[in-house]
Amino acid sequence: MIKKVLIANRGEIAVRVMRSCREMGIKTVAVFSDADRTSLHVRHADEAFHIGPSPSNESYLNIDKIIQVTKKSKAHAIHPGYGFLSENADFSNRCEKENIIFIGPSAYSISTMGDKITARDTMMAAGVPVVPGTKEAIKDEAVAARIIKEIGLPVMIKASAGGGGKGMRLVKKDADLIASIRAAKSEALSAFGDDSVYIEKYIVSPHHIEFQVLADKKGNTIHLCERECSVQRRHQKVVEETPSPLMTTELREKMGKDAVAAAKAVNYVGAGTIEFLVDNELNYYFLEMNTRLQVEHPVTECVVGVDLVKEQIRIASGEKLTHKQKDIKQTGHAIECRIYAEDPDNNFMPSPGKIQQITEPQGLGVRTDGYVYEGYEIPLYYDPLISKLITWSETRLDAIQRMKRALYEYKIAGVKTSISFLEKIMDTKDFYEGRYDTHFIEKNQNQLRASNESCSQECEDIAIITAFVDYTEKLKKLQAIHLAPTNGKSGWKSYGRKQGVERM
Amino acid sequence: MPLEIRLNDRLSNVELVRKEKHYLEILVDGKLYKLDVMQVERGVYSILYNGKSYNVELIEGDSQKKYNVNTHYHSFDLEIIDAETRYFLSRNKNLLDNDESTISSPMPGKVVKIPVKAGQDVEAGDTVIIVSAMKMESEYKAGKGGKVKEILVNEGDTIEGHQPLITLE
Repeated sequence: MIKKVLIANRGEIAVRVMRSCREMGIKTVAVFSDADRTSLHVRHADEAFHIGPSPSNESYLNIDKIIQVTKKSKAHAIHPGYGFLSENADFSNRCEKENIIFIGPSAYSISTMGDKITARDTMMAAGVPVVPGTKEAIKDEAVAARIIKEIGLPVMIKASAGGGGKGMRLVKKDADLIASIRAAKSEALSAFGDDSVYIEKYIVSPHHIEFQVLADKKGNTIHLCERECSVQRRHQKVVEETPSPLMTTELREKMGKDAVAAAKAVNYVGAGTIEFLVDNELNYYFLEMNTRLQVEHPVTECVVGVDLVKEQIRIASGEKLTHKQKDIKQTGHAIECRIYAEDPDNNFMPSPGKIQQITEPQGLGVRTDGYVYEGYEIPLYYDPLISKLITWSETRLDAIQRMKRALYEYKIAGVKTSISFLEKIMDTKDFYEGRYDTHFIEKNQNQLRASNESCSQECEDIAIITAFVDYTEKLKKLQAIHLAPTNGKSGWKSYGRKQGVERM
Repeated sequence: MPLEIRLNDRLSNVELVRKEKHYLEILVDGKLYKLDVMQVERGVYSILYNGKSYNVELIEGDSQKKYNVNTHYHSFDLEIIDAETRYFLSRNKNLLDNDESTISSPMPGKVVKIPVKAGQDVEAGDTVIIVSAMKMESEYKAGKGGKVKEILVNEGDTIEGHQPLITLE
């Protein structure tokens, strides 16, 4: 069994991984950049090592440095979290060469699934349905434009090496074609260092539903049912839930089988996710595989009762899967809301800054996976995710009510957050009724963007009074410092000393 | 001592009438409020008024006189207006009218690209600077047509929120 794990990540996921390690009696090693010396993952770990400057390509993406620290700390294994090096085949390879256990799949699985075009071919060969579109990575703008015309609008342009909505553009009109190709290529280049793109037909009313899979090194593969991730903004997930309101028992069984077949087709080992697009007629298409732990993994953990990080570590240690497919049952309903440091009233601009005050929700059925604390300054170099709020209850409606209650309790001052936006999502009829697809936010934007019902005179007055009280107290304190008793010393003397200091 | 406080366009007169420990009587534009006001955490006040419980967060702005105030469902920018503030307001009125000619980002970040040069003509809607923060790139566009007067930052620079980046003529 693995005895010590280095976590090559930061933020909430690093803390999340360390929690499971601690429960298993495994020592943890954190790595951190200049900007993260005071980050919570450093404080949570048994050991912590500095690995470079704040930009991630000089720290969290620096393979040599991370390997060096792993050896120095004598860690047996590396957990990559999500993002950063988690889907980097070279890194997985390098770990193997250096005799370090990579808690994730082989370089072969990562590169086959990581390249969306190879992934597509492999899935077609395995009999898993895919979305119509191009197979080759396209570098040339004119070729891309020609192919788009052949497939017919609307189409989606995606970075071959992409993920997380970066380097992705939807084209609806001919006029936007060239600008969109350029934007996708430029974003892909800066985010992944590779500007190849591919193109696919755009499904009109799509639901984004993904299946969690687990596979051990002995050839056993199971799925842990679905996650519904259709509430997306700019192709980034905002709210996830399981079970999906769209799902039927028959469809779950069919998609689950295909998810397992997809994982087996690349000899997958570890925890992974098969993403599907599902239309209103319940046709489904393989979208991509994420060869790592997902941000939204907690909803599965709540409903299936499996700690996915522990499973990852056991699998990496060479153990057999703890569960068989027939043991996997969904109990109740779980919802996750992603709390971002961003300003919902100002086009979701990122809002880095200092947390002045934070109160996290508590009580029955509430889980928060976060990493910020009072006085912590959220750096501008990394993802704006502050925390994930997860609620569980026996029924979907109870889980929604509980989420609303938890969002009400959640107070973060100092940076703008998406909490108010998430509250509005919970109040939207389409969400409440479970009738939504990936256009949910766009469709409901009037309700979601509306400023809250105008504040009564009384609530404005209360705000004014609070500022008044605070300001007058502040003035009083300042005056008190000014007029402080001098304990017999001459006021002029301290005045002179003060002047001297100010002159310096 | 009465104070003037500005909330968006509303200017209010606020005066403390009575204070006994945390029980306050305050006049806001002539309306009398009897409240129980406690600072419960740094920057957080619990206010009881007529049996209702308000939780109010205060975040100090760039100066000690500016506050961002959050009640549960609303967020306001407030400013304490005194003689000094009044003077600045009258002096800066002209500057505010010219807002369109200065491009700035509301958030801190890093300058990715500046696709224009000083002296170049731009149309309204042209992208003049791209700033990245927290892995998202945002394009800032010229609010009006004109000549690029001055570029105040370089590609690769780390910038503060609201810092002037580019000025247009």
